[in-house]
Amino acid sequence: MEAYLVAIAIVALIYVLLALGLTLQYGFTGLINFGHVGFFAIGAYTSAILAMNGLPLVLSFAAGTIVAGLAAWPIGLIALRLRDDYFAIVTLGFSETVRLVITSEKWLTNGVQGIPAIPRMFAGISVGSLASFAVLAVLLVVTIVAILGMGRIVKSPFGRIIEAIRDNEDAVKALGKDPARFKVQVLILGSGLAGLAGAFYAHYITYIVPDQFIPLVTFYVWMAIIIGGVGRVSGAVVGTVLLMVLLEGSRFIRDVMPFISDVEMASVRLGVIGLLLILFTIYRPQGLMGDFTRR
Amino acid sequence: MFYAQLIVNGLVQGLIVGLAALAVTLVFGVARFANAATGDTMTFGAYAALIGHKATGSLVVAGGAAVGATALLSLTVYALVFRKLAGRSVVALLVTSIGVGFLLRSVLGIVFGHNQQLFTVPLVRPIRFNGLIINPFDLQLAAVAAVALVGVFLVLYATPIGRRMRAVADNRELALVSGIRPERVMIALWLLVGAVTGVAGMMLGMKTIVSPELGWEMLLPAFAAAILGGIGSPVGAVLAGLLLGVAQELSTPFVGFTYKLSISFVVLLLVLLVRPRGLFGRLEGVR
Amino acid sequence: MINRRTLLTAVAGTGALMAAPSILRAQGAGAGPIRIGALNPVTGSGSPYGSGMQKMILAAAEAVNAAGGAAGRPIEIIAEDTQTNPQAGVLAAKKLIEANKVQAILGTWSSGVSLAVIPLCNDAGIPLFHCSGAPALSTPPANAKGLGFRFQATNDRFGRAFAEICVKEGFKRPATMAFNNASGIGNTEGFRKAWEAKGGKVVESVVYEPNQSTYRSELMKVLAAQPDVIVTGSYLADTTILLREWFQSGQPVRWIIPGWAANPDLIKALGPEVTEDIISVDSVSNEGSPAYAQYDAAYQKAMNQPGSANVYAAMTWDMVNVLALAIEAAGSADMAAVVPKLREVGNPPGTVVSSFAEGKAALKNGKINYDGASSVLDFDQYGDVTPDFGAYFIKGGKLERRYIVKI
Repeated sequence: MEAYLVAIAIVALIYVLLALGLTLQYGFTGLINFGHVGFFAIGAYTSAILAMNGLPLVLSFAAGTIVAGLAAWPIGLIALRLRDDYFAIVTLGFSETVRLVITSEKWLTNGVQGIPAIPRMFAGISVGSLASFAVLAVLLVVTIVAILGMGRIVKSPFGRIIEAIRDNEDAVKALGKDPARFKVQVLILGSGLAGLAGAFYAHYITYIVPDQFIPLVTFYVWMAIIIGGVGRVSGAVVGTVLLMVLLEGSRFIRDVMPFISDVEMASVRLGVIGLLLILFTIYRPQGLMGDFTRR
Repeated sequence: MFYAQLIVNGLVQGLIVGLAALAVTLVFGVARFANAATGDTMTFGAYAALIGHKATGSLVVAGGAAVGATALLSLTVYALVFRKLAGRSVVALLVTSIGVGFLLRSVLGIVFGHNQQLFTVPLVRPIRFNGLIINPFDLQLAAVAAVALVGVFLVLYATPIGRRMRAVADNRELALVSGIRPERVMIALWLLVGAVTGVAGMMLGMKTIVSPELGWEMLLPAFAAAILGGIGSPVGAVLAGLLLGVAQELSTPFVGFTYKLSISFVVLLLVLLVRPRGLFGRLEGVR
Repeated sequence: MINRRTLLTAVAGTGALMAAPSILRAQGAGAGPIRIGALNPVTGSGSPYGSGMQKMILAAAEAVNAAGGAAGRPIEIIAEDTQTNPQAGVLAAKKLIEANKVQAILGTWSSGVSLAVIPLCNDAGIPLFHCSGAPALSTPPANAKGLGFRFQATNDRFGRAFAEICVKEGFKRPATMAFNNASGIGNTEGFRKAWEAKGGKVVESVVYEPNQSTYRSELMKVLAAQPDVIVTGSYLADTTILLREWFQSGQPVRWIIPGWAANPDLIKALGPEVTEDIISVDSVSNEGSPAYAQYDAAYQKAMNQPGSANVYAAMTWDMVNVLALAIEAAGSADMAAVVPKLREVGNPPGTVVSSFAEGKAALKNGKINYDGASSVLDFDQYGDVTPDFGAYFIKGGKLERRYIVKI
């Protein structure tokens, strides 16, 4: 049983990394990124392709993070010229375009066949469960570092500025700071985190295919941070845990509610997520952990 | 001739997108948010039409059912959800509308199951015109889209409530100060949006197959068209839908059938960078 | 509706051994039920088949237990849903392997899920029986340890069957249209390989994206090449839209479509006029066989439909039987001993048997050869089987089987 829990914990931590990236972008800076899964995909494919060509995992992970971050740079430049909600649609379009590129460019990504047998982390440790504990440990360390890093960013002058951008962009301009530069930096940082999450995902699941990188993943992450509490690191963590309970817990719900078939369960899962999104935005906009007072 | 046929194909695709974009742009213009529940509301309209059609065999009844039921649903969603969020951030509304869409799709999936259903309408041979192949159904589709557009126009420009709607779209605060009761305007808006969405859903369902995932897939192109056309511009939405459809199909000889889907975004992005308001600006104000 | 728990109880109960596990355990090490994981696509795009596949695993296990179990032990099935999604499939497989300690995983369906799950099975040293088409599942790295066994024809074999039918029907100018996923492209590429090996040429091929409101430009490109037949790798929804638009275009052409798309639902959706003369190709279950008769009865009972409605359910039925026979032959549930026996009980030579009970008795007198409900079930060196294919013609709104293609 514990190995199953470890597996869930690993997937949950991957989603926590995604949620942290989005918290940085939306929660702290107010950038409505609806294309998060695109950067996740870029990280996953970059690291997988490089590792398949013999690059050590440490380097391929770094490359996945950097390439995903760099991909955010042009998007960031565009962002500055668009309204918030337009930016949301454009980023959504970006992530779909990423998916179409990895679907079409067979020479690079093996197209719809996907990339099977991606090298695993700690492949040297032959005992199965020990290797997954090692993966979990590394992920945990990375997540804690990311959380501490974000904590430092929030307390730094940089953090105060990006939060000020979220709350009142004009005031920031009036202070002589250029919000544009900060927005691009935040977008790159958050997307880099998504890329890192993607690398972990690719080397943990060991098989990636374009179908795994659909906008639904982005919406899952949005749900996590909205329920957890926007603009709070703890919110990202709590929200993700709740998301995993929702997604995986439904395996056990049927034991309690046998009248729901598996097929209906898929619909029920979607419905519960929808209902939670509605109820939280109406009745608890600050989320479970948040004191998000803006509007 | 090859390209002419591609253009025809693109126009057909564009009409469907344009109808959906018409619903999106109305909400975007007046209620000021991108309603991501539009796609799933279309699915609801398609099922309503399907039931009406199965019960009576008449497409007119089916259309009536789609318009009536979807308008009611739209109003209910407003009353239960969006009304409570008045004045909240764009994101709050956008995210909530995604939630509404999920919930709607989930209920449709449970009630109707996931097997595909179809409108059983007799298939007709196409009209050939100078080598162009035109399907009579597509002409009907064009007629319905035109009627929907004219209908929206009449409501907006020939009725008192339409005038108030435009006033709210133009300047909400000013409209309130001038004594316009926003509640009534919103009720009328959501009924109108529901009716348009129902028609769009029925058309999409007739053109393809009806399943709970039907409308969701239309959402991205519809958003792109609404923004491209200029928020709050009904003509802009439909024209932008046609433009995107044609651009997409014309691109296929060069980029193939996979990348054609991202053409919408490329076009949208280019237009926005040059002309951030979109092609047709926003709803014209009332003087 | 029957839930998992009541079914489990039923399965266990028929074994009549679960009733007193403590007594059993006292009889020696390795006693108690043998746990087997059923990992099926109950939801997602595999949902039309998943429930039936799962129920046939349970029904077959029930039959094994009624015959006294394998190697003297009853079989216990733990069922999970893959959601036809690799990530959910991996988590479910982890749960089966780690939490439930299963000895084998049966019945993954989509290639994506099988490719994601098989590394876990390799680690755990347990076999994966699947119904996926992707050729990559035959060879290393995916099948590095020879633990993957495929009960469905590979996409390549489907392609070969399509090519055979083209020859038989005298088609000269085939074109292909494929849904852009592994299975869709696998079918049409398999066809191209087989057809070009016969010296033919594919006049046009188009790959299209799902969820389009019209496929007219795609069709136009294919039809412009003046093919006499279009071979597809497609699914029900897109085939429905494609065929309707093709019919309205008025250009005559024949179609060869995989059986999971050209099925009674398609005829119901489009009517007899549009679907007339379409050739539907599917791997055929081993229908004349006694094993099929037993499967058919079980499927009728569980799903209230004829067994022919779900070829994958026939495969999962066979999975349980072959596995149980191999366990019986090995005399233990130690998979290192059982896996080599799978070919021994499935392939010739040997006494032909068609059920676990029959095989168990025959094993006492020597080698057996299980002929299954889904195919004669002879595994090649890759763990793949080669089922026969049926060419069905749609005539007046009915699927009529004209002939069987052996490849």
